[in-house]
Amino acid sequence: MKEKKRVRISHDFREQLGLVLEGDGVNYCYQCGACVGDCPTARFSEDFNPRTIMQSVLYGLKEEIASDTLPVWMCSNCFTCFDRCPQEVKPIEVIIALKNLMASEGIVPKGVEAAAAGILKTGRSAIVSNTTVRRREELGLPPLEELDAGELRTLLDADANGEGEK
Amino acid sequence: MMDAGRHPLIKLMSYSEIEDVNGYVGNFKVTVRKKARYVDETVCNSCGECEKVCPAIHPDEFQMGLATRKAVHLPFPQAVPSAYLINMENCLGTNPIACGKCAEVCEKNAINYDMQDEIVVLDIGAIVVATGIDVYDPTQQDEYGYTRFQNVITSMEFERLICAGGPTVGHLVRPGDHTTPLRIGFIQCVGSRSLRDGAGFCSNICCMNTVKDTLLIRDHYPDAECSVFYIDIRAFGKGFEDLYDKSREAGVKYIRGIPGEITEDPATGNLRMVVENTTTRSIEEHEFDMIVLSVGVRPRADGGDIRRHLTLSQTSDGFLMEAHPKLKPVDAPTRGVYIAGCAEAPKDVKESVTQASAAAARAGVLLNAGKVTVEAITCTIDNDLCHGCGACEKVCPYGAITVDKGAKTAAVVEAACAGCGTCGSACRFDAITMRHFTDAQIVAQVDALLAERQSGKVIVFACNWCSYAGGDTAGTSRMLYPASNRLIRTMCSGRISEEFVLRAFRKGAPIVLVSGCHFADCHYIDANRQTVKRVYRLWKQLEKLGIRTERLQLEWISAAEGPKFQKTMREMEELRAQVTQEEIDHTVKVLTEQFEKRRLKKVRS
Repeated sequence: MKEKKRVRISHDFREQLGLVLEGDGVNYCYQCGACVGDCPTARFSEDFNPRTIMQSVLYGLKEEIASDTLPVWMCSNCFTCFDRCPQEVKPIEVIIALKNLMASEGIVPKGVEAAAAGILKTGRSAIVSNTTVRRREELGLPPLEELDAGELRTLLDADANGEGEK
Repeated sequence: MMDAGRHPLIKLMSYSEIEDVNGYVGNFKVTVRKKARYVDETVCNSCGECEKVCPAIHPDEFQMGLATRKAVHLPFPQAVPSAYLINMENCLGTNPIACGKCAEVCEKNAINYDMQDEIVVLDIGAIVVATGIDVYDPTQQDEYGYTRFQNVITSMEFERLICAGGPTVGHLVRPGDHTTPLRIGFIQCVGSRSLRDGAGFCSNICCMNTVKDTLLIRDHYPDAECSVFYIDIRAFGKGFEDLYDKSREAGVKYIRGIPGEITEDPATGNLRMVVENTTTRSIEEHEFDMIVLSVGVRPRADGGDIRRHLTLSQTSDGFLMEAHPKLKPVDAPTRGVYIAGCAEAPKDVKESVTQASAAAARAGVLLNAGKVTVEAITCTIDNDLCHGCGACEKVCPYGAITVDKGAKTAAVVEAACAGCGTCGSACRFDAITMRHFTDAQIVAQVDALLAERQSGKVIVFACNWCSYAGGDTAGTSRMLYPASNRLIRTMCSGRISEEFVLRAFRKGAPIVLVSGCHFADCHYIDANRQTVKRVYRLWKQLEKLGIRTERLQLEWISAAEGPKFQKTMREMEELRAQVTQEEIDHTVKVLTEQFEKRRLKKVRS
């Protein structure tokens, strides 16, 4: 028999999230599902559902979301939920905040981590493989230029130090 | 309506607008503009010959634009009085050469193109405001495609389509191709419970309206399938749950979830949408022949006019505010004015009738008594001191004061005065005395509270209804707060004049707090807006004199906000602890000098 799943509630989850999220819109979510109907990711994957993510936040089900395999990282950042939500919960902003919160706790999927590392190192989120270079040549596309990752780094550091807002 | 129109003691003035309201309880003078109908209503027997010959065709507003009417028309079949009228904006021309067909055929000679608006002045004792609501226009919620797809209609349009007196004589057809829709979807809460549209409130009537509509459909067209997409079905009234049960028994599908974008199949005109069924967590695709948007309601867009005429206020949702939400639910804050129906909040027919009966009864009580008892807390004006500057008239929320600038006098109608005292603090010449809250009484309190140990005290001016009551709530709830505060009660924060605050500082107060009701909660319509103006003026003055503006605080505390009162008092204590004795001495010195200077100037002039 499959073991019944137990739910653990994290009572200060919302407070934790409040530190990285602007506004308290998530408290007004009444679970209408308007964010789901037009969500492109939810349409193709059963694992992603902005409504249930908001629900988990409301109930403090941190373990449901705080996983490196799971839901929030699938969001395509299209902002449709932001448009549709009647209560101005701004699900996308909550999801971005969740990603940041998890990243600060080191819970990041490998792919995302690699992409982030790639951006810092080469300025590109995807690795430029030999195949890529060859295909570009075949298609008559100009070769990819080397990017100055240092410049990006400076910008990111400035932002992290709060200088970016000046 | 017909009964009211026929009643010998009821004077019904339809097609009229209120131009102006003067006076006060029992003695209102109401100016009404009776708009020109261009048809003599006393002669017209609504035979309808004029409408037959009229060549000007326009969308019929009553049929939600689903049918047409002529320029000369009966607004709707049950209109009272049952007489035609001409909409001059639609009419081809009043010149008989241009048209004049209706006048030609009217056997009664009822049509008069030269008719003018008539101004009527009425003596009125009590007024009931029942100005109703607007319906939400779903155009801006573009994902539902109300303006793009013909087969997406509103619940109001559906009402006309299913009505025997409607454009289709009760045959349900969809507007796109005039076929009977057999798959009908209803979307609830369109424009209700939506902070996005600035209307967080529930519109109250749409759930049961949809339940009723689905039953009508199932009754007339047993083959038709209905699905309702909802957030919560609010069937809270008597018999409502029964009706909801009946609808479900009849096979109507209720799906909890708000759909996304509606798309149209251009070939068939059918509509598709994707929705998450939030109870099963499954994503469902639906196709319908017609979709009905169950639209919510809005406060009337032109509601500002009536509010201005009667000095009424509105709650944050835009509906009219009652004098007290529990104990005076049909009284307006202005004495002698009552509120009924949706003008106060969205409600259904039964509730509207209940409230209208209550309002009529309240008005009856007032009129039958023949006189009103007024609280003794009103203002009096000493015309020997009055300069006729008009400051009091400007701030009075009730329009109770009239100033004669020529004679340099002012007069107050005590029946209209509610006793907030805003005028008293606006008067620069001490010509206004607020009974029970006179300048001398308040000043004496300030002086007594600051007679000794000044640096350990916070002077709190609190209004009777909210902040003082908030203190009571904190007290009765056993909420501890620092003992440094000293409360001075006034009826309204509008009573607190700049001089009271300055006097407290002159007497050595380290911190002064001015507190009142939240905006739109003021028990004297909007008198607390004057409080804000005064406090801002004071801040400016203190800044100029080199006194820290933080020492004068402004806070809104409602009667229910005991915890906020506690929190505010704690904050005040923290602020107080930061004020040094040198600072207080400096303030006393600066302000006393300023006071003396002003006094000498006054004496000289």
